Amino acid sequence: MPVLGRNVPHDSARGHVTGESLYVDDIAPVAGELLVDFLWSPFAHARIRSLDLTKARAADGVAGLFTFRDLHHNLFGPILKDEILLAEDVCTFRGQPIVVIAAENARAIREAKNAIAIDLEELAPILTIDAAIAASSFFPDPRMIRRGDPAAAIARAEHVLEGVFENQGQDHFYLESQAAIAYPGELGALTVHSSTQNPTEVQEVIAHLLGLTMSQVVVLTKRMGGAFGGKECQATHPAVMASLVAQKTGRAARIVYSKDDDMHATGKRHPFQNRYRIGFTRSGEITGAIFELYSDGGAYADLSPAVMARAMTHSDNAYFLSDVEIRGTVCRTNMPPNTAFRGFGGPQGACTIENVMQEIASVLKRDALEVRRANCYQIATRNVTPYGQLLERNTLPRLFTELPARCDYAKRMDGVREFNATSKTHIRGLALTAVKFGISFNTKFLNQANALVNIYLDGSVQVSTGATEMGQGVNTKIRQLVADELGILIDRVHVMITSTEKNNNTSATAASSAADLNGGAAVDACARLRERMTPVARNILSVAAGAPPAAETPQKSEIVFADGFVFDQANPAKKLKFEEVVSAAYKLRVSLGERGFYATPRIDWNWTTGGHPFLYFTMGTACSEVRIDRFTGEMKVLRSDLLMDIGRSINPGVDRGQITGAFIQGMGWLTTEDLRYTESGELLAHSPTTYKIPNINDVPEIFNVDWIEHDNPVNVYGSKAVGEPPLLMAISVWCAVKHALSFVSNGDIPKLRVPATTEEILMRITQYARGEAQLTS
Amino acid sequence: MRDHIFFYLNGASQKVTGPAIFETLSRYVREQKRETGTKIVCEEGDCGACTVLIGKQEGNTIRYLPVNSCIQYIFQADLTHVVTVEGLSKDGLTPVQDAMVRCHGAQCGYCTPGFIMAMHAVFEEKKTCSAAEAQRGLTGNLCRCTGYEPIIKAAMEVRDEPRIDALYPTAPILRDLSSAESAVRIGNFFKPATLAEAISFKAENPKCTIVQGATDVGVWRNKRAFESPSYLSLSAIDGLGEIALRDGALEAGGRVTLAQFEEAAATHVPEMAAILDRFGSPQIRNAGTLAGNIANASPIADTLPFLYVMNAELELTGRAGVRSVPIGSFYRGYKTLDLAQDEIITKIRIPTPRLGEILKLYKVSKRSHLDISSFTAAFLIRMAGGRIDAVRIAFGGVGPVVLRLPKTEAFLQGKSLDLAIFEGAGAIAREEIKPISDVRGSAEFRLQLGENILRKLYYALAA
Ligand SMILES: Cc1cc2nc3c(=O)[nH]c(=O)nc-3n(C[C@@H](O)[C@@H](O)[C@H](O)COP(=O)(O)OP(=O)(O)OC[C@H]3O[C@@H](n4cnc5c(N)ncnc54)[C@H](O)[C@@H]3O)c2cc1C
Ligand code: FES
Ligand code: FES
Repeated sequence: MPVLGRNVPHDSARGHVTGESLYVDDIAPVAGELLVDFLWSPFAHARIRSLDLTKARAADGVAGLFTFRDLHHNLFGPILKDEILLAEDVCTFRGQPIVVIAAENARAIREAKNAIAIDLEELAPILTIDAAIAASSFFPDPRMIRRGDPAAAIARAEHVLEGVFENQGQDHFYLESQAAIAYPGELGALTVHSSTQNPTEVQEVIAHLLGLTMSQVVVLTKRMGGAFGGKECQATHPAVMASLVAQKTGRAARIVYSKDDDMHATGKRHPFQNRYRIGFTRSGEITGAIFELYSDGGAYADLSPAVMARAMTHSDNAYFLSDVEIRGTVCRTNMPPNTAFRGFGGPQGACTIENVMQEIASVLKRDALEVRRANCYQIATRNVTPYGQLLERNTLPRLFTELPARCDYAKRMDGVREFNATSKTHIRGLALTAVKFGISFNTKFLNQANALVNIYLDGSVQVSTGATEMGQGVNTKIRQLVADELGILIDRVHVMITSTEKNNNTSATAASSAADLNGGAAVDACARLRERMTPVARNILSVAAGAPPAAETPQKSEIVFADGFVFDQANPAKKLKFEEVVSAAYKLRVSLGERGFYATPRIDWNWTTGGHPFLYFTMGTACSEVRIDRFTGEMKVLRSDLLMDIGRSINPGVDRGQITGAFIQGMGWLTTEDLRYTESGELLAHSPTTYKIPNINDVPEIFNVDWIEHDNPVNVYGSKAVGEPPLLMAISVWCAVKHALSFVSNGDIPKLRVPATTEEILMRITQYARGEAQLTS
Repeated sequence: MRDHIFFYLNGASQKVTGPAIFETLSRYVREQKRETGTKIVCEEGDCGACTVLIGKQEGNTIRYLPVNSCIQYIFQADLTHVVTVEGLSKDGLTPVQDAMVRCHGAQCGYCTPGFIMAMHAVFEEKKTCSAAEAQRGLTGNLCRCTGYEPIIKAAMEVRDEPRIDALYPTAPILRDLSSAESAVRIGNFFKPATLAEAISFKAENPKCTIVQGATDVGVWRNKRAFESPSYLSLSAIDGLGEIALRDGALEAGGRVTLAQFEEAAATHVPEMAAILDRFGSPQIRNAGTLAGNIANASPIADTLPFLYVMNAELELTGRAGVRSVPIGSFYRGYKTLDLAQDEIITKIRIPTPRLGEILKLYKVSKRSHLDISSFTAAFLIRMAGGRIDAVRIAFGGVGPVVLRLPKTEAFLQGKSLDLAIFEGAGAIAREEIKPISDVRGSAEFRLQLGENILRKLYYALAA
């Protein structure tokens, strides 16, 4: 029986529940191992006047202190190569490493830190998007997507809406903070265990900054205790620091950030400030739209240009925009470099237009669902995105019809109106939003993967790919794919630790596409192994059956690998055990290892002519209802219904977990996760005591998760990526809050920032109750 | 006098002495024992990844309760049986573990051992578990991957989870633990068997720190490198651990945990039990004490507004004997107490609402559970003939100490239950408080809450 499509447990689940699963900091220390930490800039922007390490070097238990002078190179970066690992004369964000400290124990590290004599001159920082715009502090290059003549369309429109959508950042809050251990090897070589989504990038940056060849560095990733994009680029820094110590001291070196340091020093989801001008008809159809997106990239580019590209290509979300202009500018500020975070700009783009839908409804005094439906991408017409991609196999109209019926939208909307008309103490809100999320890296060349499949003499199989496991179940899916491709039981397949030694030049496990790409490569390897084993099997079967040679068997004859056996489907009674065929192949000197490769077909795109950046789209609709306390602003999600098109699910249990997890994580971003800073840019919410990710009590009281049956022929097994898209479905919660506020806003369009915290909600209610003028956003 | 800490870990006895007793329990199991299932994430009690069970003697049984091992000093484990995820099963998976595997309750797995331990703890007390009970039992555990829904499902599927005492028979462990001398002295750590010794020690060691649940002190230790010249534990002193209703008042000993307090409140002051349900987490309430909450003197301590309006009295014991201080005069300013060098809070006497008195308590926080309050309020109202006959109001989070609101109280005195009156009272309340802006909310937000809470109160009373 095939295992694809079955609810197979996560391949590490047993280890997780017993505590046996090992993470970087669980690896037993080796003799002489050093602890590594770093001194970071306490200012967002400062000049280093002087730095004296003499006293710190002499402190008891200190093995070494290192600065940028100890690096071969100091400059790196995934896109722009503009990032400095260790500050030289100027610190450009609070949390930037200046001195790497290696010591025998934590106490010695503390003493060394205190003994470092550093004189810093504080410089004026840029801490917000507004300040960056005022100072024209931008990263190259501003981008634009344009179709038709939106300005003219807006000028002609019956209604015009203008506004600004603003969102705060979000901390990844992976439970396992950044961590790495570096082991020195022979002749300068290094082996590094890193909690990273991107072992190849860690390998490349270590080699570059330490003056080694990539072939001298092996990076291994067994698993991560969560990542969510936060370990796509920013796992590199700790890994390089540990490697530097290993290189300089010849001793193993371990670095594990505390949760506080991690939150202070690493980048987050990008804050955005999105301005919009929308022209629309009296039935709510958008006729022209201009979006101007600004993101806070932080001090270095990191992945910000790519995040902006995704924000721009997701500003349409589920809605057709005939005449549209989308401009995007990344601001350079003195915040830690903001980085990938599940959704990768998509949520900020999509939330902007969902906000617009809510506002159009407010202006027209219509149900927002009608407005959304009036603008939804269609099947035969109104089906091309602003960047020119034809929407194929579009299920949005279906999702927009099925979900309202399933969740009783119309009746509940009446209920909400009735409730709000009578309740003196609470208000309710209801909103149904959509997601259309493009799958593929926007950067074409990243859409490739390789996989190594080795069959051993006993018929067991090891698979190695560049995919990294962070809980999302990619290894489980690959295991299922390989088991079915080779027709063996899933227990016979082992997905190995991710290692740059087995798989070279891999892309980050990101963009939700790790199972697509690496699964595709593993399937490719298996197909070729099967091809080589087929004649071997055919030979034995024909000899055993005493049948005529293979060439003369009837047409229907085909060698099948299934359930641990190999047989000819023309004569299924005669079965060989998989391991028998393996053994025979070995003796015939047939290679039983294979490297597979996958490059996503069809995708092609550039900024000037547009094109087809995404292989396909994952889609969904979501409906949420909230209840707000009029006096305190406290909000409770009463019910959420999610309906998705995720293709054919390889593993329903894993996919369902991705949906519930992403939704709740998105809800956190939109509601309780409040990154507050001081005026000088110091993060005040830097641990779970002050930074509130959703708790088990925040799960919607009623939570229905489902998907429609729908094949996706362009992807492995007809499946669709599911890691990121459901995060955007949490926008329904935020829109429901906005909807609730429309009952107390005296006919004005209610404004709301992200996150809609208790405080944000109460201050809005208060403002309306006092009849005060609108805040700007 | 014993010169070492003595406890059991997963069925094996442990002796620790010297400076090592000040290490945290989580680091002890991870670094000394190399049992790395217990995870360290926040080291401040706020994520639950480090959850272990602490078994303490109750009569001739051992009761196992979940706590955050990251903020437990090793000396707090003295004479207990600590069970970590490694010790939960001798072979195979327990039903809790099996359900978590089947329901995809683990993704990245980093939170999982903590959830397993907290979930197991639920089944130490009951046989099956509803969604609401799962949420309550797992409030102290954060998961960033699953969205919790699969975990709740898993909890609801569990049947026949064997209890810890089935794996580790109680009698031999208890016999061994109770054979140890109860008083301990290790360097500057003292755990006396009598109150008199505790008081002398405190008098002789001016900067001595009492450590009870360490849900405050443990956080200072980890986050501010807090070290005290000497440490005093009250856990071997008899008579401080009981809570009971006497003459219409709850009398809680100086060592009563928040969990014990919650249990008593559930019967005698349900309104307070509802606030305690949102106080930290089960792990925090199992370790933390009521006296600790009072002595820590935070203006946002959740028990204080209640204690204020109930006119609670603190019994302080020192060299000179016992004195009683009303809670309202215990705080002299931000974190300064009417507590002499040698004094210890030995009892808290809390009158419960009398017939005709209405108690209303409010806690507003960024997140409904496992969050420190942005604002708290307590009201005790007596109505007579449709009018407010007497009222006491206390707010937290609006100044350096919890405040009574005399002007608002005076205004409401004798008034009828009328929205306009309560709106007027809200306006006065707003004038009476001086909140600051911090990470939990702006001053303006708190002012507005101070005003609005009276409107909320009105609707609660009118209902
Ligand atoms: C994750 C987390 C969540 C929390 N959530 C909440 C919350 O929701 N609401 C809230 O109000 N608080 C909350 N707290 C704080 C709360 O747990 C503490 O204030 C607790 O009540 C302190 O009790 P303890 O026994 O742990 O005190 P300890 O930490 O042991 O001691 C605290 C202080 O009290 C002194 N002390 C203790 N007992 C006595 C005594 N008998 N006589 C004199 N002095 C004494 C100690 O010397 C010390 O100064 C939280 C803490 C954490 C870590
Ligand atoms: S590590 Fe977070 S509660 Fe202990
Ligand atoms: S499974 Fe990753 S944090 Fe819970």
